[in-house]
Amino acid sequence: MDILVIICLVLGFLFFLGGAVGILRMPDFYSSLHPAGKLDTLGILAMVMGLALYNLHHFSLEAVLVSIKMFLIVFFVFLSSPTATHSIVDAGMRAGLRPWTQKKGKE
Amino acid sequence: MKLLGFIIVCLTGTFLLYGTSDLPDWGDPNSPASLHLSNHYIEKAVAETEVPNLVTAVLADYRGFDTMFETAVVFTAGLACFLLLRDFKPKEDRYYRHVPTGVVLHFKDKARQLRVGTEFEAVDKDWVPSDMVIKTVCRILIPFIQIYALYVVAHGDFSPGGGFQGGVIFGSSFILLAISYNLKTLMKRVSEKFLGIFSAVGVLIYVGIGAIAMVMGGNFLDYSTLAPLLPVNPGHIRALGMLGVEIGVGIAVMAVMAIIYINIVSQGRHDEGL
Repeated sequence: MDILVIICLVLGFLFFLGGAVGILRMPDFYSSLHPAGKLDTLGILAMVMGLALYNLHHFSLEAVLVSIKMFLIVFFVFLSSPTATHSIVDAGMRAGLRPWTQKKGKE
Repeated sequence: MKLLGFIIVCLTGTFLLYGTSDLPDWGDPNSPASLHLSNHYIEKAVAETEVPNLVTAVLADYRGFDTMFETAVVFTAGLACFLLLRDFKPKEDRYYRHVPTGVVLHFKDKARQLRVGTEFEAVDKDWVPSDMVIKTVCRILIPFIQIYALYVVAHGDFSPGGGFQGGVIFGSSFILLAISYNLKTLMKRVSEKFLGIFSAVGVLIYVGIGAIAMVMGGNFLDYSTLAPLLPVNPGHIRALGMLGVEIGVGIAVMAVMAIIYINIVSQGRHDEGL
């Protein structure tokens, strides 16, 4: 059980780390939104799954209820976070921001 | 001029920092704030009010007057926003969109009207086609947000929460509706009259509960005198009184949030905006 919790938390940590590095390293607005939208959502899934399992150590009805509530948080983040990213990209396109492309003849 | 401003800012900052040296340390047990009333609240609140959440007990019972006038301040903010921004003059230019073809017609003559129906719809000047992803997700989320807001209001005396927070969450669900669809969709569901009446009704509920307590022979906002009115355990009556008060606060805050948002984004015209 503990090993499962640790695996989940480390996985979530890796996702968040990748997301943070991606936001800093990606060349333009749209591509840096990509890790922000995807990896943060996945990271929250893995982290909260680990925490919910950890919460079930003392198995009782209340602990199960709290874990279910944690998964509700994940559910709503899964709905809202990609939608927010989508709307930001949409607003960027409407405002006329061109996506970044590799310059020709640079190689 | 910039230099002068910089010097003034620096001086003010220095004086403010100098002033903080007289403040007690954070959480100092010997500071005046934690010597007298705090101990009383922490030791006696559960015994006196039977409310598990100490913060709510202090907010809605010990400091009931304070919270009542906070609600009145919120109401006044909504009223001020209405009085300053509301513009009843109809707009000069109107835009209609022919739905099947997507052609937008611009009417400059005030007298000319187009019947809005399935063929034409009235649109804003900077109308953009609304996005299906955002609309669908918001349609799914808004009921959950509203239920959660009601939960926060109703659970105020057991866990963190209360009228202000719940009202803000409920109001933000209206704002989300206006952002994801458009302002007209929101105005169709909650009219200006509804919001105006409800912002006053919230304050009225709060004051009314206080006045009922007076009629029942107690002090203003003394919830314990309400016990004969309700068939519940008399010990629990204070928590119920606080719940009623929190509902009033929640209604007022919800309506005022929506009023402020609608008036600001549409520049007081209530017809178009974000």
